[in-house]
Amino acid sequence: MGTLLFDHPGFDGHVTPPGHPERVDRLVAVREALSAPEFTGLIRREAPECTDVDLTRAHPQAYVDRLAAALPVEGWVSLDADTHLAPGSLEAARRAVGGNLAAVDAVMAGEAANAFVACRPPGHHAERGTAMGFCLFGSVSIAAKHALAVHGMARVAVVDFDVHHGNGTQDLLWDEPGTLFISSHQMPLYPGSGAPHETGAHDNVMNVPLAPMTGGAEMRRAYSDEILPALDDFAPELVLISAGFDAHLEDPLANLNWTAADFAWVTAAICDVAEAHAGGRVVSTLEGGYDLAALGASVAAHVGVLMERGA
Amino acid sequence: MSEIKIEEMSFEDAMRELEAIVTQLDSGNVELEKSIALYERGAALKTHCEAKLKAAEEKVAAITLDSDGAPKGTQAFEAE
Repeated sequence: MGTLLFDHPGFDGHVTPPGHPERVDRLVAVREALSAPEFTGLIRREAPECTDVDLTRAHPQAYVDRLAAALPVEGWVSLDADTHLAPGSLEAARRAVGGNLAAVDAVMAGEAANAFVACRPPGHHAERGTAMGFCLFGSVSIAAKHALAVHGMARVAVVDFDVHHGNGTQDLLWDEPGTLFISSHQMPLYPGSGAPHETGAHDNVMNVPLAPMTGGAEMRRAYSDEILPALDDFAPELVLISAGFDAHLEDPLANLNWTAADFAWVTAAICDVAEAHAGGRVVSTLEGGYDLAALGASVAAHVGVLMERGA
Repeated sequence: MSEIKIEEMSFEDAMRELEAIVTQLDSGNVELEKSIALYERGAALKTHCEAKLKAAEEKVAAITLDSDGAPKGTQAFEAE
């Protein structure tokens, strides 16, 4: 059936201040990596803007309005020390959500087996009413809620292997019984949440912290022993991935030592569960990853596996 | 971030800063971009504290006892 790739030039309108790690060049590196000959088979589509109806599945209208009112005409407005709005930031964030929703719709319609949304800004730190950690809207959470509400699904899983805890996704899915949110992340590290005792209102949140300086062997053990069995027990009808590539050993913002091969392994392992329960339906969205070469190589490894499984 | 060199810090000062860093990291009030630098200073402080503790342990272990079981000095002292 094939693998979809969602992208849009509008993502480049989210320009961050000089020296900011979450920068336009990240997506340039991803596009460069996915322009290699082995990726010609990708079905490429433009990420549409989402609507306020979509956003308010996760965020109060007042929050959406507050961000719109804060949008600068030029330069930047800082929402916190990490998170900044440029004139094009809201269009980009709406396309990040819209790309995820379009990917879910297309995969549900059988237009492709799986999809990767190459978007900016990332989303997994955005809480119900708080932009933080480079994130404005909870794209993956909105996609999960959309799958439940629009497609009538009963069980949607979100697996987040970004090196930072997905506190925003945890906040937005905490009281959503049709979802299972699983996060692996370095601890201690930003944002400080993600301890194993944080388990959601319906036992639907699973946090698996990884110790600093650990690598692929420890990650594979954590996934094999804890995460994949829990995902398998949940029997998801759709699997969403918050694909951050900042657990890579070259990443400047964390201390885990994963390689591109580890990202390929974890992708394949998640696809195995999706094939067992969800007809192989996987929608993956870009979160972090701040070393450009490592990001390009890791996305290539990740999307390569999606293409193999989606063929 | 403190300018004090870790290798010049006393055990007590290093522990105090380490506890402050752990509290800060746990609180979530740290910027994403700065979190890693804070963690790395915490890790260096922990290594420094562990080295200080190990040195103290070795000193204790080196205390020699007389025939009544009372401390009579350290091996290092006697060797001098």
